Amino acid sequence: MNLDDALHTFIAESRDLLQQMEEALLRIEQSNDDADTINAIFRAAHTIKGSAGLFGLDHLVSFTHVAESVLDRVRSSELEFSTALTALFLEVCDHIGMMIDHVVQSSEPDPAASRELAERLKNYLAPAEKPAKAVDMPVEHERPFNTIGGGRVGTDNWHISLRFGPDCLRNGMDPASFIRYLGTLGQILSIATLTDAIPNAAEMDPESCYLGFEIAFQSDASKDAIDSVFEFVRDDCQISILPPHSRISEYLDMIRDLPDKEMRLGEILVECGTLTRAELDEALHSQSSGDELTAIGEVLVEKKLVHQPVVDAALEKQKTIKESRNAENTLIRVDAAKLDHLINLVGELIIAGAGTSLIARGAGMPELLESTAVMSRLVEEVRDSALTLRMVQIGATFNRFSRVVHDVSKEIDKEIDLVISGAETELDKTVVERIGDPLTHLVRNSMDHGIEPAEVRMARGKPARGTVRLNAYHDSGSIVIEVSDDGGGLNKAKILAKAIERGLVQPDAELGDKEIYQLIFEAGFSTADSVSNLSGRGVGMDVVRRNIQALRGTIELDSTEGLGTVTRIRLPLTLAIIDGFLIGVGEDTYVVPLDRVVECIEVTAASGHDYMNLRGEVLPYIRLRELFDVKGRPSKRENVVVVEYAGRRAGLMVDRLMGEFQTVIKPLGKLFGNIKWSGGFTILGNGEVALILDVGGLVNLAMGREEKARHGLYAVR
Amino acid sequence: MTLTMEGDMTIYTAMELKARLIEPIGRHRELEIDLSGVTEIDSTGVQLMILCKKEAMAHGTTLRFTGHSQPVLDALDLFNLGHYFGDPLVIQSDHSREALK
Amino acid sequence: MAKTILIVDDSASLRQVVGIALRGGGYEVIEACDGRDALTKLNGQKIHLIISDVNMPNMDGITFVKSAKQLPAYKFTPVIMLTTEAGENRKQEGQAAGAKAWVVKPFQPAQMLSAVSKLIMP
Repeated sequence: MNLDDALHTFIAESRDLLQQMEEALLRIEQSNDDADTINAIFRAAHTIKGSAGLFGLDHLVSFTHVAESVLDRVRSSELEFSTALTALFLEVCDHIGMMIDHVVQSSEPDPAASRELAERLKNYLAPAEKPAKAVDMPVEHERPFNTIGGGRVGTDNWHISLRFGPDCLRNGMDPASFIRYLGTLGQILSIATLTDAIPNAAEMDPESCYLGFEIAFQSDASKDAIDSVFEFVRDDCQISILPPHSRISEYLDMIRDLPDKEMRLGEILVECGTLTRAELDEALHSQSSGDELTAIGEVLVEKKLVHQPVVDAALEKQKTIKESRNAENTLIRVDAAKLDHLINLVGELIIAGAGTSLIARGAGMPELLESTAVMSRLVEEVRDSALTLRMVQIGATFNRFSRVVHDVSKEIDKEIDLVISGAETELDKTVVERIGDPLTHLVRNSMDHGIEPAEVRMARGKPARGTVRLNAYHDSGSIVIEVSDDGGGLNKAKILAKAIERGLVQPDAELGDKEIYQLIFEAGFSTADSVSNLSGRGVGMDVVRRNIQALRGTIELDSTEGLGTVTRIRLPLTLAIIDGFLIGVGEDTYVVPLDRVVECIEVTAASGHDYMNLRGEVLPYIRLRELFDVKGRPSKRENVVVVEYAGRRAGLMVDRLMGEFQTVIKPLGKLFGNIKWSGGFTILGNGEVALILDVGGLVNLAMGREEKARHGLYAVR
Repeated sequence: MTLTMEGDMTIYTAMELKARLIEPIGRHRELEIDLSGVTEIDSTGVQLMILCKKEAMAHGTTLRFTGHSQPVLDALDLFNLGHYFGDPLVIQSDHSREALK
Repeated sequence: MAKTILIVDDSASLRQVVGIALRGGGYEVIEACDGRDALTKLNGQKIHLIISDVNMPNMDGITFVKSAKQLPAYKFTPVIMLTTEAGENRKQEGQAAGAKAWVVKPFQPAQMLSAVSKLIMP
């Protein structure tokens, strides 16, 4: 552990806090005045400031200080989060983020930007607070020379007089510690411990402090430095610190202010070597002769009253609110690379385990079979829990859009709310990381093209405020993410016309609703009448689709004209390992994701048709033998594996069904990038390679063929 | 009579120690308090030692502290209280320890 | 035997830096991320000093100090509270809860080491 590590922690922690701050800021618009939310915002600024100070990042400290001061006023209800203040703090959030980026690059941010933003923040400070920059502790200035008792003592030692309050020991403040620490600032020449205050045994409370000290001290330290030794007991104790060569009158003041008998104290001072006998005599003499001295005999230490606060109730409330946030703190931050390595190893373990099982089966030893079975089950559990490590809730990603919607709705001058549901749905971290951009595009699209201007909405009898929804849920081994809006919906005629104009479809083509909507995902398609600076600037829906496909997902649109549009993204839960179903064609083996398999049907040798009758329904199918150009003759009895994707079914005709298999997905290298209908490969227990079939693609292929020719049916046994 | 102190002479044990220390004072003519087993002492411990001394003087008991452990010696040294108790070992601490350095 | 300090703050980087400074000064350091975590870490063991932030999730510093001070083993343990200059009202609450020493954030690691040394020597 060194400071560099700590700085990395600081950077990661600050980014987390900024994200929480942003989320809270966006929440505040809806839940105004929620103390917990305000506190979260405050704490982010507070924590960043506190830690930045430790690393000497002074520019960050001074900027967050201003932000914190404003937030403190909000916290004490002197100020509330107006739309303008929220917007300002979102900027502050971004600015701090930028400053953190500079910390990462060890560069200095532009001070002008900080200054400008800080000035705007200062408008929210109460007038009295504005000039308060650093905390100026009132420095005790040396008193002006006084002619009365003006003689000065001869020694060049400090004199420190201490009377500890009765409660200081109970408060954990031990005089011994302070005196030891004082010793580190110079040399304690002599010390007299005053024990007179200790009462007799019956009255003495052993936890109370009765001690006093007179100390002659030699040091080059400043008065402030010596003073600060006792900063923690200042309120409880009487302390007087007299610099070297102080005037005798000051000693006199000190002596008079102390509770002990004057004569004895004077003797102690002489004993300490602070005063000479002559000086003491002069002091006592001048005291008896002059009344003027009382004027300067002020109490050195002002005792402050500590009020017993009536806050228990408030604290109790705070506690219950915070219960719910407990879960966060049991989290461990793990380097993603370590996790990937673990998943990789688990993958290898599965492959190796499959190999062992195969050998065990060949060896025919029942005990070995049994033990490999147990092992397989355990490996399976390890796999599952390793995979869940990678699973993160989509909520954080969704919440980012609060900001997008907030900013964009200002920019395009439409009032739009974001409604989030299914935030707790979990999916693979890699997917979460890569889903952000496509989602941003879709959300912006909905806001820009979907939601109509307020007057149009009113005319259509809809609320003036538009709504964009983000929703996520699990559906048979996939995760579905929906972006929907209550806007104008898609205009089929317009899409079709544009597609024809662009030469994407033939003018005489007859297309279903869904097919028309899918046209939007074709390259170079834009339906907006006006092109704003948000969407429709080159990055089209085709790019969104490609991004989704790269995640082995699909995207589709559903729309009702006048009521709104739903964009549905369907993604695999994880990218690493799946439960596969092994099928064989000729010598080759293929893998179908098990959750895509609906049923398996045995059929007798088939002729050239591409579809069959499955319990009265038309089921298109594909002969994998033809598709992958496998040599040899098909066996007499073939099997059709019925697969389903996005609600549509198709059959895959294969030679053999080989059962379930845990499949570690290995991506196809660039060399094999052009292999169609496959998203990756896996290594079987016997070391052979099997392609993993892209079920979505195959279903679409089969459906496409089905449209082309539709006559004759197969009999299904 | 000999009392043996073991462990910490701190504020956490002060209440209990006070009772133990005060009880024999005035009931015995001579009292020896063995401090060799003291592992930690704070100002409350020192105050108790002073209290014992005062009480012993008031009640005519001859009190001796013996076997001062290092933490006790350090504390008495810090407060410059060696002469106050006048026990031989304390005086030794002031000089022989200097000499040992 | 080195004296043990419990530091309670929700900022991991702050705990790390302060930990480095204090260990360098010859103290043992135990870390906790909030009041609740700190209470579980107290666990009856000997703690010579507690450093605690005020504003923390789950259980704030003042509630924590109050609870700790109710345990016999920590009734008299000195507490340094970390605060901001803005937190004057909380300071009074903290004083009442038994925290008499305050260090204002932001501070330098050396400042913390000297504040600690005033209360307990290593």
